[in-house]
Amino acid sequence: MLASISSAVLRGVDGVPVTVEVHVAGGLPAFTVVGLPDASCREARDRVRAAILSSGFAWPMQRITVNLAPSGLPKAGSGLDLPMAIGVLVASGVLSAAAVAGTAFVGELGLNGVLRAVTGTVPLVEALVEDAVVVSLAAQAEAAVLGRHVVQAASTLRAVVAALRGEGAWEQAAACAAPPPEAVADLADVRGQALARRAVEVAAAGGHHLLLVGPPGAGKTMLAERLVGLLPELSPELALEATKVHSAAGERLPPSGLVRRPPFRAPHHNASMAALVGGGSSWLRPGEISLATGGVLFLDELAEFSPAVLDALRQPLEEGRIRVARAHGSVQFPARFLLVAASNPCPCGNAGTLSVCRCSEATRRRYRRRLSAPLLDRFDLRLAVQRPDPDRLVRVGAEEGSAAVGQRVAQARELAAQRGVGANRELTGALLDRHAALSPSGRRMMIDALRQQRLTARGVDRVRRVARTLADLAGESTTVLGEEHLSLAMHLRVDCDVLLGAEQ
Amino acid sequence: MAALLVLPAMGPHRLDQLVTAAGSAQAAWELLRRGHSNHPDLARAELRGDREKLLSGWFVAARSIEPGELLHRHQRHGVELLVRGAAGYPLRLQEDPEPPALLFARGDPLALAAPTVAIIGTRRATPYGLKLARSWAAELTEAGVAVVSGLASGIDHAAHEGALTVATAAWTAAPVAVVGSGLDVVYPRSSARLWDRVAEVGLLLSEAPLGTRPEPWRFPARNRIIAGLADLVVVVESHLQGGSLITAEEATARNRGVFAVPGSVHSPASAGTNRLITEGSQVATAVSDLLEALPSRPVRPHRVTNSNREKTKPVALDFEQLRLLEVLGWEGALLDDLVDRTGWSLEVTSAVLDELLRRNLVTQSGLWFIQERDSASH
Repeated sequence: MLASISSAVLRGVDGVPVTVEVHVAGGLPAFTVVGLPDASCREARDRVRAAILSSGFAWPMQRITVNLAPSGLPKAGSGLDLPMAIGVLVASGVLSAAAVAGTAFVGELGLNGVLRAVTGTVPLVEALVEDAVVVSLAAQAEAAVLGRHVVQAASTLRAVVAALRGEGAWEQAAACAAPPPEAVADLADVRGQALARRAVEVAAAGGHHLLLVGPPGAGKTMLAERLVGLLPELSPELALEATKVHSAAGERLPPSGLVRRPPFRAPHHNASMAALVGGGSSWLRPGEISLATGGVLFLDELAEFSPAVLDALRQPLEEGRIRVARAHGSVQFPARFLLVAASNPCPCGNAGTLSVCRCSEATRRRYRRRLSAPLLDRFDLRLAVQRPDPDRLVRVGAEEGSAAVGQRVAQARELAAQRGVGANRELTGALLDRHAALSPSGRRMMIDALRQQRLTARGVDRVRRVARTLADLAGESTTVLGEEHLSLAMHLRVDCDVLLGAEQ
Repeated sequence: MAALLVLPAMGPHRLDQLVTAAGSAQAAWELLRRGHSNHPDLARAELRGDREKLLSGWFVAARSIEPGELLHRHQRHGVELLVRGAAGYPLRLQEDPEPPALLFARGDPLALAAPTVAIIGTRRATPYGLKLARSWAAELTEAGVAVVSGLASGIDHAAHEGALTVATAAWTAAPVAVVGSGLDVVYPRSSARLWDRVAEVGLLLSEAPLGTRPEPWRFPARNRIIAGLADLVVVVESHLQGGSLITAEEATARNRGVFAVPGSVHSPASAGTNRLITEGSQVATAVSDLLEALPSRPVRPHRVTNSNREKTKPVALDFEQLRLLEVLGWEGALLDDLVDRTGWSLEVTSAVLDELLRRNLVTQSGLWFIQERDSASH
């Protein structure tokens, strides 16, 4: 007897539909799986056999061949356990072929017949063409995120078979109490530091990458954490993309199943290349930069990251995605993130401040060299953060909170969307000329700044983009940039040598 | 003599002892070459430190060095040898309590014919100190005073830079630098161009032969030469402990005038100079203070106005600009400070500030904005 069951496997962050064909016929009893299964897939044989037996069904003492089509595609993961078991049951006559027609199956089996969730349920379900899908109870919410399929869930193989035969009902996950909303760090906590507060607002509004340089204790991490709270909720497409990445990486999804809040990822500086950009040996897992899609990637102690890792960031910063190639194929991960990086100005952290820098000039230069010019150039916003003056902390009254600032940010994003870009960061060429034109006095200002070496040639476009965002935040709708916005934009992009203490 | 200096751990004191004991540099060299530690001439030399270890080290080294080849190498590098007592040796060092027996020189020894002022200070300087060192060095050079310094980073670097901006004109003085390492071992390496320019325009001196690494003990030794060469020493900025304070002490010991530039009591980089002032050193607040104290008048009378800086046309400033200059004061400030002091928005503050920057009434040093002295006339 032959059975053909639909399922899917994960490839990067995308699902690929797979048909599990099971052939049961006379011959010496055997159970073989063909079609390029990897180790976890081949081990399915033992799980499937044990699960069927413990669920009280008979194991056909015949020759069983399982083919995973398309057979040329390498397959990994344990999600094919359930389709294999169902296939065996159909092929051996326990279930009728009609009962499984038009239904796909995704799930891992335990030896006692329990059904478990697999990583990447969202992209796996997305790849299915069938109308109905059977998943484990634990994965029900995740599978329902797309809303395109009839999601049927059960907690054991036995329950699945019963429901398919019409002898039992599908199960429904108990609505778990929503966890209390996470306390979001508020921008009002940042007192004084007007320039830094504004930079965070501009970064959120225009999607401008932000570099913060300052001594320890200046509040760099504090600012970065507050930036993500200013971002508006993800658009439906971006939310789905972020959800797929989170699902494929096996990250916990929010109770609603959909990642709606922009994520905040802060990998430690000893993170490996694979952890950051994605990869791994057989199962290509998305890395931190992909998990930050739609949100903020915060790299604290930027200079401590390995230079190879930092160089790998250049492609995603440019294209919004990363291609990870391995010997057996390559996959593409989304990586549309807002980069926020923090660094000390020198190893002791005091260069450029009123405190005494204890580093030798050679040490400072070595530290500076760890950050390549092409990477530093990609930051539209670069500024120094100083330790706040205690007097001022006490004196300054209540600052504007995240809610008010977030509203302006949302309006600015709206304006960017009307220009046909996701954020002002993406304004280039003709679009930049149309929406961020220079007045004669503005042009003269830029030329003067260039001549006095307060600005570099490649910085001009970046300053114009930031000035556009500043104007958007101020509610200015004219396409010609005002002088005050250009001027402030220049102060928000400090020369790297000044920031990193190479020049005092 | 040059050969003796190449020996490991050979300082000015040991060299002096050795040469006096042996009678001449030539004889001392022969003694070491032969390697008799009990030779009566050698026994007379008083050597501080582990005598046996020193001597045996010298014996080994002396056998591997060829004095002729060594001299030849210095000539190839365009390095002149100034021997104490011979022509070309700096006059100010002849009567020095600890004169270097030999100086290696690149450039023009006549640079020392002018009155000299040493501008020294910390390597970890603030924008205030750097800017002051640069402008004073330029003004002194213009007034015909040779600026002496050590070519270290920080104040030294700024002083030489400042001197070089005007030193090419025929009637100005030339800068003089005394360094701690061999003349071919540039330290810090980033100053390579500055070394070459000083040697081209003025004079580059060292007590150490070619190839000598910048060992820590050589810097205090170098400082005594700076003190010896200068008619006046001015300490621009110094931390509570630092090489410039050693130079100041050496200068006092040699009866040279020591000036200190006062700084903010908040600034650790001025702590050393402010203490010098409390301890009785003279205060320098303008180049004229130094010029008046010089023992001999510079050849060219000092003009009070400063001609090298482009005169900006006096333009009327509006209310905002005046207000910003007022809150900026005379110490550097960050943009955040200015926003805080004016109470204006970031946009307005930065736009007003940019206008002042454009007119050169305010300059930027690192992250700090500093008011230019000229703007006071407005």
